[in-house]
Amino acid sequence: MNQSFEIAHTCESILSKIATDFVGLALQNREGPDVRWHYAAGNSNDKYKKITVRYGKGIAGKVISTGSPITINNFPENIHGKALEYPIMLAEKLLYAFAVPIFYKGAPKGVLLVGRRTNTPINKEEQNIVRQAAITLEGMISSLF
Amino acid sequence: MERQPVKNDISSYIIQSQEEEIKRIALELHEGVGQTLYSLYTGMQFIGNAVEQVEMKGYVSDMAELLEKTIQEIRLLAVELHPPTLTTLGLLPAMKSYLKLYTSTYGIEVELETSGKEIPLEERQRITLFRVCQEALANIARYADTVKAEMTFAWQFDHLSIIIKDNGKGFNIDKGWHQSTGLAAMKERMHLIGGEWHLSSKIGEGTVVELYLPFI
Repeated sequence: MNQSFEIAHTCESILSKIATDFVGLALQNREGPDVRWHYAAGNSNDKYKKITVRYGKGIAGKVISTGSPITINNFPENIHGKALEYPIMLAEKLLYAFAVPIFYKGAPKGVLLVGRRTNTPINKEEQNIVRQAAITLEGMISSLF
Repeated sequence: MERQPVKNDISSYIIQSQEEEIKRIALELHEGVGQTLYSLYTGMQFIGNAVEQVEMKGYVSDMAELLEKTIQEIRLLAVELHPPTLTTLGLLPAMKSYLKLYTSTYGIEVELETSGKEIPLEERQRITLFRVCQEALANIARYADTVKAEMTFAWQFDHLSIIIKDNGKGFNIDKGWHQSTGLAAMKERMHLIGGEWHLSSKIGEGTVVELYLPFI
């Protein structure tokens, strides 16, 4: 099984393990600070393939710049900045998102995001499944750098 | 008796002052803060080359990398606030450049069609048209639920018309008008430069924004 297939399989398995609508994997570009969405499961369109976010911007950019998870509830209420600064939420019409960092050589280089199109947060147990999947993905993303 | 300023004059003054302030901040970021950070960055590289201690070299290199990211951020922020091409090259080149950024930000492709020869506009007109187009495109990203949009620039000898169209989900104009001030602001901005703004939308079929600017 090649790594791309394994990564896609891991994203899809999260979708089936927890009742979520969208799973996406974003990685910082090999060169430069920008971040792109590489894999998605449960996506309603292909917009994610064209979206590039800047380091520190959007959910993916913020998770990578801080190295910490981010939760968004009832988007676009109570967000920092404008709704337009959260392109993946708009593109996939998500109301809820939980995103965790993926580390490569000790530095946050990627993001695993799960989202719902209803404002229904995932529970602690489901959050742990996402965190565990992020750790699994850490061993797979080396080929992408 | 001294004439009281009319509402239009006040709105026009507020919008113009705001735009001038945005432009000033963008220039200050680009030419001021950006340049200073660049000097720091080159200094940091110089220190990095001179330092022999491996640990310290790595630390300096990390700081230089962070500075590089910050410089890029500052430059992009300045361009976002006020695209320099709007002043140097004109409305159409600035819009083409913005559309590239728009697609890479929201994943929505915009097909641009132009006809006629671009006629140089006053700065106030260029900025207004650019901002109104930006607002229309932002609405598509937020509400239209579509992967494609179309934009048409038609330059005639006596007017410019711009059409921004999407085949998204459309909306009820009466409701939208009451829920968002963005639509009214677009209309007001066009009115202040002597232009017209028309909106049509059908649920399930999409939305069309038409801008018309006569050359007096």
